[in-house]
Amino acid sequence: MLDFEKLKTAISEMDDETAMNIINEVVETQGDAGQAIAACQEGMGIVGEMFEKGDYFVGDLIFAGELMGQATEALRPLLAADSSEDLGKIILCTVAGDIHDIGKNIVKAMMGAAGFEVVDLGVDVAPEDIVAAAKENGAKIIGLSGILTLAIDSMKDTVQALKDAGIRDNVHVILGGNPVTDQACKDAGADAWTTNPQEGVAICREWALVK
Amino acid sequence: MLVIGEKINGAIPSVGEAIAKRDEAFIRNLARRQTDAGADYLDVCAGTNPDDELDALVWLIDIVQDESDKPLCVDSPDAKMIEKVLPRVKQNGLINSVSGEGDKCGIIYPLLKGTDWKVIALTCDNNGIPETADKKVAIAKGLIEEAAHYDIAPDRIFIDPLVLSLSAVSDCMLSFMEAVRQIKEAYPTVKTVSGLSNISYGMPYRKIVNMNFLALALSVGMDAAIMDPENRDMCGTLYAVEALLDRDKYCRKYNRAYRQGKFGSK
Repeated sequence: MLDFEKLKTAISEMDDETAMNIINEVVETQGDAGQAIAACQEGMGIVGEMFEKGDYFVGDLIFAGELMGQATEALRPLLAADSSEDLGKIILCTVAGDIHDIGKNIVKAMMGAAGFEVVDLGVDVAPEDIVAAAKENGAKIIGLSGILTLAIDSMKDTVQALKDAGIRDNVHVILGGNPVTDQACKDAGADAWTTNPQEGVAICREWALVK
Repeated sequence: MLVIGEKINGAIPSVGEAIAKRDEAFIRNLARRQTDAGADYLDVCAGTNPDDELDALVWLIDIVQDESDKPLCVDSPDAKMIEKVLPRVKQNGLINSVSGEGDKCGIIYPLLKGTDWKVIALTCDNNGIPETADKKVAIAKGLIEEAAHYDIAPDRIFIDPLVLSLSAVSDCMLSFMEAVRQIKEAYPTVKTVSGLSNISYGMPYRKIVNMNFLALALSVGMDAAIMDPENRDMCGTLYAVEALLDRDKYCRKYNRAYRQGKFGSK
């Protein structure tokens, strides 16, 4: 008997052994992969909430993200036909001049868990490369990350490059990272900002569902 | 171990505010307190946006060297900025920093030629900060060899092997220590340096991680730290570890620092 409630709890407590045992059981018995993914997503939601409350820390988020990646990978063959909530594509990267990717990678895992198809462009990504990716894959949301103060300038340059390319109105831009503030968001001309991955997912989800 | 006082840095919100308001008394106070606490160098970093950096950094330098007789550690992410402000500095100190990025060496190293200025060299390059010891060491060697072209001997170079965050990279301390060992083996006179708080990013109760980082780093021969000289826990750790490593005969420095109230309950 597959216990999805137990799976959700195992993910939320980062009990990888229990979680992967259930996942493997789902795979072996050709169980309901959609439901398994939903349980994992709920578990990740709890991880995000715990981080927000200060009970979980960065290492916990990273580990949960890896666990989520493992679970999705194992379930993928079963998921092909199944469409759990598909929120479309999101581009993520650390902006030009900055190479810090801990935050970006956490957001990547959480966005993936929430049902986004994440296109990760990596670190120190030039505005023109972000524009090119957006044009090519038609992503409607772009998440720009950075930890250095100078990242704000790169974020501004990126929004400007989207304008120059004539696609600014086709996309939502969200900023994340240590130096990001309400003022920085306004200066850069972005649509939203956050320093909290869970909140970031909520904002992007709202955008994706409105379409 | 050399202590580079980290407090005069505009990236710290209260200091950033003082710089923005040009609050001279605030900066003087930081310089005085760190000097009294035994700092060997005082780091000065404007941490402002590029438009104001020159003005802010010159302002800081003038105040700090008026208040303290300690040499400065002139800190900017912009090598050209360091070039501009250096003539302003009265006493030769430490430049923070060069790295394998862009043309930093090409700008900074000529400034050191024929002087006794020292320099911090970060083990990162255009590809970012490497995780493995081997890559850190390779960049360090490149920076040291390049310096030789400007007659800068290894003993004037402080290599910072850029420790990553333990919360994200579980073996980051091991690769840091391995890098220090290998760099020291290849160049016995070269110095090594590190900040003490990057290691604990994203973790609860960071100070206990930072203190033990300092202990482990000292055990492989780290020569200097960019730190808060007024931090009593860190100060106590430093004296205790130096004694434990037989660098403090009969614990005299430890005992004296305790008598002076540098650590322990107040």
